[in-house]
Amino acid sequence: MSAQSITPAASNAKPKKIRARMERVNWPATIILAVCSLTVLIPLYVTVSMAFKTTKQAVDGNAFSLPNPVSVDGFKQAWTMTKTPVGAGISVLITAGVVFLVIFLAAFLSYSIVRNWDHRFFRYSFFYVLAAMFIPFPVVALPQISLTGRLHLDNPFGVIILASMFQLAFSVLLFTTFLRSIPNELEESAQIDGASTWQTFRKIVFPLLAPMSATVGIFAFLYAWNDFMMPSLIISDATLQSLPVRQNIFQSQFSNNYNVSFASYLMAMAPAIIAYIFTQRWVMSGVTQGAVKG
Amino acid sequence: MAALAAVAMIGAGLAGCSSGGRTKLVFAFNKREAVPFMQQVVDDYNKSQDKVNVVMDTSGLNSTAAGFVRGAPADLLLANFNNQAARYVNQCAVTDLSDTDAAKRVRPDVKALVDGVGKCPGRTSAVPYSIMAAGVIYNKDIFAKYNLQVPKTYDQLLSVSKTLKSNGVAPFFGTFYDGWTVSQGWFDYAAGGSLDLKSFFQSIEKDGANVGPNSSVSYEKDFLEPMNKMMTLAKDYTNPDANSKIYGDGNTAMANGKAAMYLQGPWAFSEISKTNPKANLGTFPLPMTDNPKDLKTAVNVDLGAMIPEQSKHQAEARDFMNYLFQPKIINAYNASQLGFGPLKDSAPETDPRVAGLRPYYEKGKIYAGPSYVIPQAIPIPQLAQSIVLGADPKDVLSTIDADWARFARRQ
Repeated sequence: MSAQSITPAASNAKPKKIRARMERVNWPATIILAVCSLTVLIPLYVTVSMAFKTTKQAVDGNAFSLPNPVSVDGFKQAWTMTKTPVGAGISVLITAGVVFLVIFLAAFLSYSIVRNWDHRFFRYSFFYVLAAMFIPFPVVALPQISLTGRLHLDNPFGVIILASMFQLAFSVLLFTTFLRSIPNELEESAQIDGASTWQTFRKIVFPLLAPMSATVGIFAFLYAWNDFMMPSLIISDATLQSLPVRQNIFQSQFSNNYNVSFASYLMAMAPAIIAYIFTQRWVMSGVTQGAVKG
Repeated sequence: MAALAAVAMIGAGLAGCSSGGRTKLVFAFNKREAVPFMQQVVDDYNKSQDKVNVVMDTSGLNSTAAGFVRGAPADLLLANFNNQAARYVNQCAVTDLSDTDAAKRVRPDVKALVDGVGKCPGRTSAVPYSIMAAGVIYNKDIFAKYNLQVPKTYDQLLSVSKTLKSNGVAPFFGTFYDGWTVSQGWFDYAAGGSLDLKSFFQSIEKDGANVGPNSSVSYEKDFLEPMNKMMTLAKDYTNPDANSKIYGDGNTAMANGKAAMYLQGPWAFSEISKTNPKANLGTFPLPMTDNPKDLKTAVNVDLGAMIPEQSKHQAEARDFMNYLFQPKIINAYNASQLGFGPLKDSAPETDPRVAGLRPYYEKGKIYAGPSYVIPQAIPIPQLAQSIVLGADPKDVLSTIDADWARFARRQ
């Protein structure tokens, strides 16, 4: 907000004046945001410091103390107990599959719905897909388990299909809102030049959707990477289980291994954080574009 | 990302080539602390023969339940035999194991205990593998310092508590923030130490829907005195911050000698030893009456073996089950987890930390804690917690009565 208050005329003024205007900070908002950021930073700090503690120090009841001595024992144990390479591999497979399927299916579907909004069939199919947003997975878990079992989809591929389906509704909502803001004239000019519908989509519409595709992809990534419930119920073979389900072994009612579990959580969080650092530019632009134009 | 994808390929490759020609037998096991022990047993078994390859599945209760829904459950379950596992038994979804060698070796009173949790008429559905006996964990050094004897009656317990309190030591460490620690410890030991729970549950089950203020047995009538005695201890003789402490805090406090007594089962010892492996601890049953002959220990079936009907490898599952029940393995397992053996020929538990409960277990002076027997539809952990946090025990117990009657009507 404060950045917008700088007028173009300021470029002619003396440098001193610019600095004076730029230093006007919205203190109340800054303080509120700083406090809010603690809700993320404190748990993150506890996670990192716990991961490097010894088992003895991890259970002493002081979550905020610094690790002393620093120990990587937790990482070693976590690595072997969850078979992290295999678990992470399965999680990567599931996540990549879900992100890919969701972006493409949702983009196809949204394009056809938005451009055929006059047809009742497309309009109703939009509402039908959107209705899935109101059905959480646990409600349909039992039939889904027996269905995937019968179709021999009780493996990571079944999870990819189901997770994509559940993520489709929200993604279609984002894409359709964004697509409505793209002027029809662009496509018309392509069609005048002889482009087919597929070519128009591939060469004109899909590239324009890129910021929203990034947003949809990131939401799908976070959902698929972190999901516990669905893989735990759908995947029948323990050797093909995803990472979050393998981590379930660290905690039970009677026993806690904070240093091992937090080391494992840290390893599982790393890809999500790295993905966010590289894509946050698109996330922010995608979210605001969708929000403003909708 | 590329590196992770490469790892994924290797991982998938490894997972693919583990079964070569052998029958794959899935063995569901979820006791976290004992996974390394069991993994060793499974590896030894796989090496000892070349027909069956046992794969241990530690993915949790969700996956086990999902297996039943899918029609392809694990071939052998070795599960905490609580109300949830008992559903597989009550629905007769697991096979009859009465003709196995292991089932014939089970102590009759332990078999009755298993049947009390869940039963399919005419079948021996679950064979107990490990029994946990729970009582008061006490710090032997603190008791020695103030020249205290292990109390055998409620009055002795009170005088021990008074002595400790007057010397500035918290007699009991309460972890009331965790509801399950209240129901498992305070609620169960208080009721089990005072009443003959077996006959109580027999009559209250007969009364079923008629249980209420006017029935011959009710929680309100029979549990009130034990609950009042429990509240005397919980109110006056615990650490002042008991209401905000959780299970983990209790283990750390006991490890550091912050309190003399702690109402927990043997599972707490492995947690306590993380902080202080040398803590000098022992156990005794909580005395609730004035007669030392009434002393009994709370027990629960920590692990029971079950073979689902839907398993396609019945013979192989039984063979592996027999392997697990060999004296050498089952005794080693129970020794490692401080459990008591459920078989007539089980080796006695020798760990000094649980030795105080051993005579009671061996003489069959045992009871199943009410919080394990009462159906999970009645939230005993929360109700018991509300009592120690200050609710009127009479009101809470009449709520349990009403819930019990409603549950019976709907069955």
